[in-house]
Amino acid sequence: MTDGTLITLISVGVTFLFMMGVPVLLVIFYWVVGCSFVTGLPLLNAGSELLNVFKNGFALLAMPLFILTGDLINQSGIARRLSDFAYSCLGWLRGGLAMAAIGACGLFAAISGSNSATTATIGSMLHPEMVKGGYDERFSAATAAAGGTVGIIIPPSIIFIVYGFLMSLPISDLFIAGIVPGALMVLAMMVACFIICTINGWGILIRLSFIRVLKTAIGAWLGFFAIGLVLWGIYTGKFSPTEAAGVTVGFCIVVGLASFPLNKIMGSDADTPVEDKSVLSMFVVEGFTLFSIPRIVSRSAQITGILAPLIAVSVVMQQQLSDLGAKEVIGGFVMGMGGYYAVLFTSMIIVFFSGMVLESLPVTIILAPILAPIAASVGIDPIHFSVIFLVGASIGFITPPYGLNLYVASGVTGVPYFRLLRYTVPYLAALLGVWILVALVPDLALMLLPNR
Amino acid sequence: MSIVAEAGDVVTAILSQDPWEMKTAFKTNGMWLFSLILTFVGGFAAVALYRVVPFLERHLERGISVLMYLIIAWIIFSGVVDRFVFSRQVPWSTTIPPYLFMIMAWFGCAYNVKLRTHLSFNEFRMKMARPMQMFALSVDAVLWTGFCWIVVSTTLLIAANSADNFAIVAGTDDMMQWWFIATMPLAFTLMAGRVIGNWMIDWANFRSGDVLIQQAVIGADV
Repeated sequence: MTDGTLITLISVGVTFLFMMGVPVLLVIFYWVVGCSFVTGLPLLNAGSELLNVFKNGFALLAMPLFILTGDLINQSGIARRLSDFAYSCLGWLRGGLAMAAIGACGLFAAISGSNSATTATIGSMLHPEMVKGGYDERFSAATAAAGGTVGIIIPPSIIFIVYGFLMSLPISDLFIAGIVPGALMVLAMMVACFIICTINGWGILIRLSFIRVLKTAIGAWLGFFAIGLVLWGIYTGKFSPTEAAGVTVGFCIVVGLASFPLNKIMGSDADTPVEDKSVLSMFVVEGFTLFSIPRIVSRSAQITGILAPLIAVSVVMQQQLSDLGAKEVIGGFVMGMGGYYAVLFTSMIIVFFSGMVLESLPVTIILAPILAPIAASVGIDPIHFSVIFLVGASIGFITPPYGLNLYVASGVTGVPYFRLLRYTVPYLAALLGVWILVALVPDLALMLLPNR
Repeated sequence: MSIVAEAGDVVTAILSQDPWEMKTAFKTNGMWLFSLILTFVGGFAAVALYRVVPFLERHLERGISVLMYLIIAWIIFSGVVDRFVFSRQVPWSTTIPPYLFMIMAWFGCAYNVKLRTHLSFNEFRMKMARPMQMFALSVDAVLWTGFCWIVVSTTLLIAANSADNFAIVAGTDDMMQWWFIATMPLAFTLMAGRVIGNWMIDWANFRSGDVLIQQAVIGADV
């Protein structure tokens, strides 16, 4: 039996394991082990890479810290304030609450860097209110799932960190390049949401009130400050992304701890309607106590304990693929398609279909080192390509069978996975539209980078 | 030399506490036998420990992960404050956190094994007949154990290599890299304990007719 046949059999075998429900981490690891036996690569290589990924990965440290930031802004009540602000701005439109959920996802994503954290936070916060407001529960869950996709495009973003780490690109440039495409994704999903809600007559309209908008904007000032801090630090080069993440964590902890007693003194709580709150109390969020920090960190540690090992085994798989000559095979195929646009769209199709069956991190770690050099060789700007690649990877979060955000949304809303699929279609169409636009107009990604 | 004799040499090398001897012994095939036994014995010991001290069952890996998380955040945050306020920065503020991240990641991984929250495509498994579900859970257990076995074996060698080379963490005077690397086989031994513990629960559920597979929710236990 040839090596090629054996590797095909191993790939079929691990696909079977995946379909049986074996964790993705193990599926990838055993593919690596199987291929190591075929190619004669010692298993020591796999073991040492599981260690080296972290040992040499200071940049990767931004990932757990931005996950923690997401949990801290959620627990401190800042996320709630951001969603209140989004609702007061959009509640007068048909489907306003659903659009506010998407807007809140965008704001949340500008502080946190995780898609699943965005979906889980906004979904659990706004799903009950949307159902109460007359929205179909499947649509509501699909909105949270789709809104979460911007979590990894609007900076800071975990996946941009991983991409920059792998491809030796400046992570701060990647972050900045994600701003406009991320905003476009939010806008496109809002338009899709507005159309669907108008057709179905969903949502209760509230009056657009300048006072309410101003009050909720004041209430969300800490969120805006955190967003500004991250963007300012990275944009001006004062912090590396990892340091920006550390600073944001520190900021959120200080704010959370300081707010708790102040909020108690003011006597307002999270359930008090915005109208009944004094302007002064809007300056302070609910906060948390010192004793609740381990509980908050524990949740972040759990998510990191899922994602970080997955990154490590994906890096090992990428190396194995490289040894097997996958780069040359895929490269030859993609290059054979023709010039600039053919390479661009073939790459996009590969990313899209990979995103349907794999989590975005393995997709990025495995495919980016193969596709990015090919794209560069036909003249696609590396930063532009990274944005195209990652917008595609983010769309994979809502494409079945393996759409992570769909699972998360299903988990936090209780709507069964298969039942919410139908309602993701309009969002999927909107995101695909933005994806193609970003691919065709490089300036959308590069306009904020003066040196490009 | 037989594999059993080589495994015996591994034990002798560990007892000698000489990194060079350990490194040499760990490179033999006997290391695979030794680490297989270590993974199982360590795993069962962890299960026994969790039974005797339920507090550790609930908090051991999670506690380690949380502690590492907080230390990382503190080192990076204070590093930035140091730079901006005092115009200085300790040299290890960018070299130690990655090692702590490694510890956090693998102990966190073990904790997620306990909670069964690692990402997977469960749709078909949920619809399987009970015996098939039990079979699938057993396949998981075998695969996790194999994973632990391979990593315990290879990272012990890496730790011994590092100790033999006197590799020091950059930015420190005397902090050895192997101190951190040695936590990996420990994390994977604890992970093996979680795998064994989970399988025992699955088997008991299978025999009693209880539900075998439940939808895991991230963060539901905190």
